[in-house]
Amino acid sequence: MRFIFAVLRQVFKNFRQTWLSQLMTLLTVSLSVFIFAFFYLVYINMLSIGDKLGYDLRLIVYLEEEPIPELQEQLRRKILAFDEVEEIYFVSRQEALERFKVQLGEDQDVLQDMPEDFLPPSIEVVPLKNLRSLNQVKLFSEYLSKLPGTIKVQYGQDWIERFYYFTRLVSIIVVLSAGLLILTSVFMVSYKIRLTIIGRKAELELMKLVGATNSYIRTPFFIEGILQGLLGSTLGLVALFGLFYWIKIKFSGPGILNIFEFSFFEPPIIVMISIVSILLCLTGSYSSMRKYLRT
Amino acid sequence: MSEHSNNTMVELIKVSKTYHPNIQALSGVSISIRSGEMVFITGRSGAGKTTFLKLLCKMELPTRGLVEIDGLDIRKMRGNNLSYLRQQIGVAYQDFKLLTDRTVSENISIAMEVSYRKPQIIRKRVKALLEELDLSDKHNSMTGDLSRGEQQRVTLARAVANSPKLILVDEPTGNLDATTTARVMEMLIGLNNSGATVLIATHDHTIYRDVEHRLLELRGGQMHQLRDGVMQ
Ligand SMILES: Nc1ncnc2c1ncn2[C@@H]1O[C@H](COP(=O)(O)OP(=O)(O)OP(=O)(O)O)[C@@H](O)[C@H]1O
Ligand SMILES: [Mg+2]
Repeated sequence: MRFIFAVLRQVFKNFRQTWLSQLMTLLTVSLSVFIFAFFYLVYINMLSIGDKLGYDLRLIVYLEEEPIPELQEQLRRKILAFDEVEEIYFVSRQEALERFKVQLGEDQDVLQDMPEDFLPPSIEVVPLKNLRSLNQVKLFSEYLSKLPGTIKVQYGQDWIERFYYFTRLVSIIVVLSAGLLILTSVFMVSYKIRLTIIGRKAELELMKLVGATNSYIRTPFFIEGILQGLLGSTLGLVALFGLFYWIKIKFSGPGILNIFEFSFFEPPIIVMISIVSILLCLTGSYSSMRKYLRT
Repeated sequence: MSEHSNNTMVELIKVSKTYHPNIQALSGVSISIRSGEMVFITGRSGAGKTTFLKLLCKMELPTRGLVEIDGLDIRKMRGNNLSYLRQQIGVAYQDFKLLTDRTVSENISIAMEVSYRKPQIIRKRVKALLEELDLSDKHNSMTGDLSRGEQQRVTLARAVANSPKLILVDEPTGNLDATTTARVMEMLIGLNNSGATVLIATHDHTIYRDVEHRLLELRGGQMHQLRDGVMQ
C-alpha cells in the first residue's frame, strides 16, 4: 500500500517535470488511434452496407435448354465445386414465363402471340453472404459461364462489384493505419521514456545508490505507459465519436446517406481498441526500460 | 538476525582492489568492525579510503577477498536484497552526488522516499535535520547554488535521513569552519550513541584528536590500527 502511494507520488512528480513532452506523446497516440479507428469504422459500416446489398445478390445462369434432373444434379455438383453457396434454384421455361407474366401485370396480353417457350430456362445461384464469396462474384460468374450449356451469366449491377472492390481497398487502409498505430504508440512512448531516463540519469543512479528497488524505479514508467495508452485511446475515440455524430446530424433528413443506417463501434470493440493501445504503450515503455535501466 | 550479525557490522577478509589498468588501491585488507562502533579512517590522499567505503555499499566490487555487511556477503546481494541493504547504509559521498537542479529538501527526501516513508514524516525529518546542521534557511534553495560547505552538510543530512544502521562518511569536514565542524561531529556522535555504526574517512586530525574512538590508517594499500577504540 505504501509502495503504491510512493510510486504514485513519483508519477505525479515526473508528470510535473515533463508534462509538455507527455502531452505531445499523448496527442500523437490519440491521433493515431483516431486515424486507425476512423478507417476501421468506415470499414465496419461498409461491411454492414455490403450485407444489405449482398442480400439481393444472385447470379442467373441462362441455359440453352431445359436440364433433365440428372443434368441438374451434375450442374449442381459443378457449381458446388467452385464454392459453397446459399442456394441453387432451377427455373424452367414455364416458370420463367409465369414470373414474367406476374411482372407485366396488366400488360401481359403482349405475350399473346409469343411462343410458350421463348424465355430460356436458368439456374439462380445465391452466393453465401460473406465477404469472401461476395468478393469473388466476378470469378464465380466467369466460372459459371464456362459450364457446358450456358448462354450467359447475369448478376447485380456493376456498382456492386465496384463497391466490394472499394471495401477491399478500405480493408487495406485499415491494416496500414493499424500499422501506423502500432509504430507511433510503441516508438513515441519508448522515445519519450528514453528521453526521461536520459534526462534523469543522475537521479535514477542516485536512487539506486540510496536503495531504491527496481520496481520502485520502473513502475512509474509502466504507469506512464498505461496512462498514455488509456488517455490516448479515449481521446482518439471521443474525437472520432464527435466527428461521427456531427456527420450523422449534418446528413440526417432526406439524402443518399440516409438509405443506410450508420453505426458507431459496439462497446466490446471500444474496449478492445483501448486495451490494445494500452498494451502497445506498455510495450514502448518496457522496451526503453530494458535498454536504459539495466541493473 | 543471527548472533554473529549482532556483533559484527563490517567484516573484510583479505580484500584487495585493483583498478584498471593496474592500480592497486587496497591489498589484503582484513578488518572487523563491531555493530555500534565509531571508527576513523585516515591516510594520505590516494591511500584508498574512498575505495574502502565504496566496497561496503557495493559501489565497487573487491578484486579478491570477502566483504560482509551485517553477516551478508556483499557479492551475493542483488536486486531487492541489495536495495534493502542500501536503505540501511547511509553514505555521505566525498563528491556529494547531489542533484544540483533540485532543492535541498528534495535531495534529502530521496533517501526516505525509496523506503516509502509518508510525506508528512519526510517533511518533519528534513526540517529537523536542516535545523541540526544550521541550514534551515536553505530548505528551498537549489543545491547547485550552495557553497561547498553547505553542500557537504546536505550530503550528510541525506546520508543519515533514513536512520541507517551503518553510516559511511567520506571527508565530512573538508570545507567547514571549526564551529560547523563541531556541529557535524556532534550529530554523528549522537547517531552513534543511539546505535548506528559510523565510519568516517578523513584527513582532518582535529576531529579524531580529542575523541577516544578507534583510529585506522590506510598505508600502502593496507590497514593499520593507530589507536584502539573504547566502546561506549
Ligand atoms: N575508478 C577508478 N579507476 C581507476 N583508479 C581509481 C579509481 N578510483 C580510485 N582510483 C585510484 O585508487 C587509488 C585510491 O583512491 P581513493 O579514492 O580510494 O583514495 P582516497 O584515500 O579516498 O584519496 P582522497 O583522500 O584524495 O580522497 C588512487 O590511486 C586512485 O587514483
Ligand atoms: Mg577519497
